Amino acid sequence: MQVLATHAEITDSLTVFADNYNKNERLKIMNRDWNRVVVIRATDIESLHTLILRDGVVSLKEGASENPDLTVISDSETLADIFYGDITPTEPYNNGTLRIMGSEDDIIRLDFISLMIWGE
Amino acid sequence: MQLKRVLTLRTVVATSAGLTLASSTFVAAVQVAGYVLGDTAWIAILTGGVLCFLAAACFSELNGLLPTASGIRLYFNRAFNEQVSLTVSILYMLVVIIGVVGAESYVLSRVLSEVFPALPPYLWIVLLLLLVTGMNIRGVKIAGVFQEVITYGLLASMFALSLIAFYKVNFQLNTPFAPGGAAGLINAVAVGVFLFVGFEWVTPLAEEVTQVKQISRGMMIALGILSVTYAVFTVSMTAVVPKGELLASAAPQMVFARAVLGSPGTVWMVLISLAASVTTFNAGLISVSRFMYASAREHALPAIFSRVSMRFFTPWVAVVTLFFIALAVAGVTLLTHRYLVLVEMAAAMESIVYALAGLSVISLRRRMPEQARPYRIRGGYTIPVLTIVVFTVLSASVLAADLWVLVDLAAAFLACLIYVNTAVPYLKKKYESRRPAARRRPSRAAEDTGGR
Repeated sequence: MQVLATHAEITDSLTVFADNYNKNERLKIMNRDWNRVVVIRATDIESLHTLILRDGVVSLKEGASENPDLTVISDSETLADIFYGDITPTEPYNNGTLRIMGSEDDIIRLDFISLMIWGE
Repeated sequence: MQLKRVLTLRTVVATSAGLTLASSTFVAAVQVAGYVLGDTAWIAILTGGVLCFLAAACFSELNGLLPTASGIRLYFNRAFNEQVSLTVSILYMLVVIIGVVGAESYVLSRVLSEVFPALPPYLWIVLLLLLVTGMNIRGVKIAGVFQEVITYGLLASMFALSLIAFYKVNFQLNTPFAPGGAAGLINAVAVGVFLFVGFEWVTPLAEEVTQVKQISRGMMIALGILSVTYAVFTVSMTAVVPKGELLASAAPQMVFARAVLGSPGTVWMVLISLAASVTTFNAGLISVSRFMYASAREHALPAIFSRVSMRFFTPWVAVVTLFFIALAVAGVTLLTHRYLVLVEMAAAMESIVYALAGLSVISLRRRMPEQARPYRIRGGYTIPVLTIVVFTVLSASVLAADLWVLVDLAAAFLACLIYVNTAVPYLKKKYESRRPAARRRPSRAAEDTGGR
């Protein structure tokens, strides 16, 4: 049977991701001019979140946002694993499990933030 | 829910066409003319363009099915397997960087040496590569409006020069429908494909457009514009300058421009060549460095290549490594003068990738039959099968025509295959041993969750 993560688990993973980001002063300085709205959407359960990066700080809200800069789309398990830092985003991206809509530079920046928070 | 920043069809066309325009395409155009009789190069070029439409149709279906910046890396992974995908992707990137940098730097150095003969050719290449490397490290992209100005400016310049040339020699077509033997025509078409190399590199923009169909439409329009422009420009070159003289030159566009407009023509052509080369180098460096970064992140290349500049958020280790590889390739090409081998190698590799794209369409229709396809090629398997047959024949004809191309490509393929089967498993194992033993995500064993 296919295992699905719950909406609450995705929320928790994003909260952990946002907390770790906000604790990293270096990341906050590096991204102080990178104001972006990132929507995270699960494909197999009803789950929508928005990460808002403004003035170097990340905040999380439930639900989608109009006109995001980036949209991260994947199954619930992959999303939870990525934002907890248990897998790198590149592998699911290269095998098609993860889809990110937005500019290539923004995709690399998001991947790099994940690298800075969780390591390789 | 709509993305904030989206690209227009005009930008997609400019990007697709701009990626193919390079100084070395003029050399390829002259090679095409050399294989056929009289003014019939246009037949081979238009045929090459039409054949690329087949490949473009396959890329359009693949891109609609799997819209991603990973391109062939993902298509071939899903259609075949991880090993095939990684081997072909690494080989493709290797050939692109060696072929494009080698041929392009050689041709450009000849162009600049004609205007500034006192300066050594290699110095120009070092300066140009330094410029492009600096742009890449700082994250300066030739994109959007700037890319449009360069691409449409180049196309307009080529058309204008051609029309002036036709007017000057009171041009009349000479045996326009008798290209000579079949072997010559096949080789002409095979090298003609090189003129369009890179049109499909626009597919990574799939995630930046509102409708994926814009990518396929953009590729098709770009191919149409390029086919006509190259055909007209090549015929005008051979109308003004004898073929033998063009074939003997590593910068035939300079010979042509001088014959048409004298010194002003030379200056105009230097500017055209510089713009074409800078955009080509830049696009090549961006694509290959991003590929290296992504491969390092999935542990297919050493982790050092995933290092990103803290200031500019660009994969600086990959960019600097490529700078040194490019310097070495350019140096070897300038010493050996074997730039034509590189042009042919890139043409053969591109044909192989196009044939594999056709195969991927068939494979994915069987493996993912239910998946939505915003663009589906009409006529069943006819076009994918035609793509496979045509590009297999073209790659075989290029490989058979020059033994060095076959040997070089076979050696590169073998090296990639060995790398993927030995070094990649080692790197993945090394990564696994360094990973934290426990997952960060809390276990759900005792939890009662509604999503299961």
